[in-house]
Amino acid sequence: MSAILKVENLNKAFKDKLVIDNISFEVNQGEIMAILGPNGAGKSTTIRNIMGILYPDEGKITFSNYSDNTIPRHKIGYLPEERGLYKNVNVMDILLYLAELKDYPLDRAKQRALHYLKKFDLEGKEKVSIDELSKGMGQKVQFIASVIHEPELLILDEPFSGLDPVSQELFKQEIRQLADNGTAILLSSHQMNLVEEMADRLFMIHRGQKVIYGDMDAVKTKFANFKCTIHGDNQIKELEQLPNVQRVEQANGHHIIYLQKDIQPVWWLKQLPDQLDVRELRLDRISLHEIFIDIATDKKLMQEAGASYA
Amino acid sequence: MRNSMKVAKWEIKRNLKNKTFIIGMVLTPLFIIGFMFLGELFGGDDEEAETTTVFIHDQLNLFSEIAATVESNNLPWQVQQTDLTKEEAKKEIKDTEHTAYLFIDEESLKEGIIPTYTSEEVDSSFINQAQILTAPIQAWQMKELGLSDEQLAIVSRGIQVKEAADSPAAAEKTEEATEESADAPLERIVPGAFAGFIMLSIVFTGMAIFQSASQEKKDKIAEIILSSLTPNDLMQGKIIGYFVLGILQSFVSLAIVLPVLSWRLEIAFLDYLFVPELALYILIAILGYLMFASIFVGVGATMTDVSSAGNFQGMVMMLPFLPFIFIAPVLNDPNGFMAQLGTYIPFTSPGVLLLRLSNLEEWPWIEIIISLVILVISIWIFVKLAGKIFKVGILMYGKNATPAEIWKWIRM
Repeated sequence: MSAILKVENLNKAFKDKLVIDNISFEVNQGEIMAILGPNGAGKSTTIRNIMGILYPDEGKITFSNYSDNTIPRHKIGYLPEERGLYKNVNVMDILLYLAELKDYPLDRAKQRALHYLKKFDLEGKEKVSIDELSKGMGQKVQFIASVIHEPELLILDEPFSGLDPVSQELFKQEIRQLADNGTAILLSSHQMNLVEEMADRLFMIHRGQKVIYGDMDAVKTKFANFKCTIHGDNQIKELEQLPNVQRVEQANGHHIIYLQKDIQPVWWLKQLPDQLDVRELRLDRISLHEIFIDIATDKKLMQEAGASYA
Repeated sequence: MRNSMKVAKWEIKRNLKNKTFIIGMVLTPLFIIGFMFLGELFGGDDEEAETTTVFIHDQLNLFSEIAATVESNNLPWQVQQTDLTKEEAKKEIKDTEHTAYLFIDEESLKEGIIPTYTSEEVDSSFINQAQILTAPIQAWQMKELGLSDEQLAIVSRGIQVKEAADSPAAAEKTEEATEESADAPLERIVPGAFAGFIMLSIVFTGMAIFQSASQEKKDKIAEIILSSLTPNDLMQGKIIGYFVLGILQSFVSLAIVLPVLSWRLEIAFLDYLFVPELALYILIAILGYLMFASIFVGVGATMTDVSSAGNFQGMVMMLPFLPFIFIAPVLNDPNGFMAQLGTYIPFTSPGVLLLRLSNLEEWPWIEIIISLVILVISIWIFVKLAGKIFKVGILMYGKNATPAEIWKWIRM
């Protein structure tokens, strides 16, 4: 897989505040690369720097196949976080205008527009004015606009925000299919469950700095330790005595036991004492969602895990 | 530039497909014509009502002279002879409208007063108009007194104090007089007015840039558009697009207004229009547009929507109306201080220049060149500033920028 986009040592400050601090990553052809982080972490700023809407203070952004330091805008599809469409124009007009801005042949654009409208359940809506569409329909049109010119690199900033589950599923499938067909996709999102399902690699950013970067499975194995949730009437002290326990959290009627790295799940289960009150028991890995929350709330759970293991 | 043209094309297409714009485009000239006719309608009414029937009780056989004087002075009178006495006339007049009785006899000449009875609804200027009758009556009086025709001519010529023709002041006045009487003014005024009209109509259409730029923010499409082109491309595209729309508006207006105007005023406008001066006028009009357009597009990008425009933005919108302050002083004295001042202020210079040049025989070329240079430099500066403001402002959603913020962007 070749890197379509390379970001190296990116720095950006607003006034004296460093918003992006020495960030580097790549997006490869045919992969979905997720950029994650809490609000204000610097995701959209990073993306705006890539799109040339903002200019980095330091660092290098390169697009492979385009060595002359210009942004190949016509080869990039972009769905910004803050998005909308002109209100008083019809769907086909705006799609063709945006395709024209990308220098994409109009007859092909028209074909693709009709194809996508049909796919997204908007068949026959091409002559309808944008302000007559529902919010969800509008978002579909925005998505079509970002892919109508067959981009090599597709940048999606919070593509799922405000979508109903059905449309979410539709977008997910379409994004996956685009990646399978060779499009490089940079996706920013809050919705961890979706990212976890979709992304091949991820870059987690907090306060402008890199926290995690790597292959989704590797990240999960590396950072996502096992945790055991037990519903029952037990004492927290007792649970803390169990082997390989990092810490225990008590919630309404259940305890969550965070385990150290690299335990053998079956072996560990066998260590549970007979007198333990178990009405329900679950053993699973810490989800991306929890890692995300930890980072956002500065619990530094993962570092603890690493430190105690080291 | 290619991208700018795409944006321009889009703005044109979007507006031409917009019913509001089309209706506005056709309604504008119709309003102009409507107001023109409204004036004439009222004016015409008054004139017809003014015709007064004047009965003359003439014992001196002066009726034919009086009728001739009325005719030659174009008075709205219908003169008739009458034999009624004063008492009868007084009665008669109570039941009639727009009627007057004049009693010209030996007695009135002796007293030097011609008794006049008018009905209630007689034109207020009737008595003033009637003063004109004193001339033929006095002439008759002098003849009666025994003056010969020659003597009569000398007396009636009167005496006048007049500056000698070779005094410098007199020479200047003669020049002015010929200037006013000759055909020349129409040759300058028609193209001047034409260019002024074009400028006003493209500047006013250009005000839509304001809305267009802030709409871009309101609809949150700015960032999508900017993923395909640079802010400068977008800004230039808008300026070009609205220029074309403005020109279109001008031509639609002229196509409707000019024929009506030619018909009513019986002036062959086209004969006066295509003179070399027109080129300069049009250049001034276009420069004026470019300046205001760049200001509008920049400031438009600082607002979320037109209805929430702050004081600062509102003031900027008033800028194109600034030249109107100069109309009276410039017409009074096209070379006066106010006229020169207006020529050198960028915001007023296009309007004032057009007004002055249309009213001047000798063009002040040095002033014209200086003001054009000022104008071009201002445009250059405003385009640069607008570019900076536009670049940041267009992506700032949700609130209007304050002048302090705008100043910060400019210094960035």
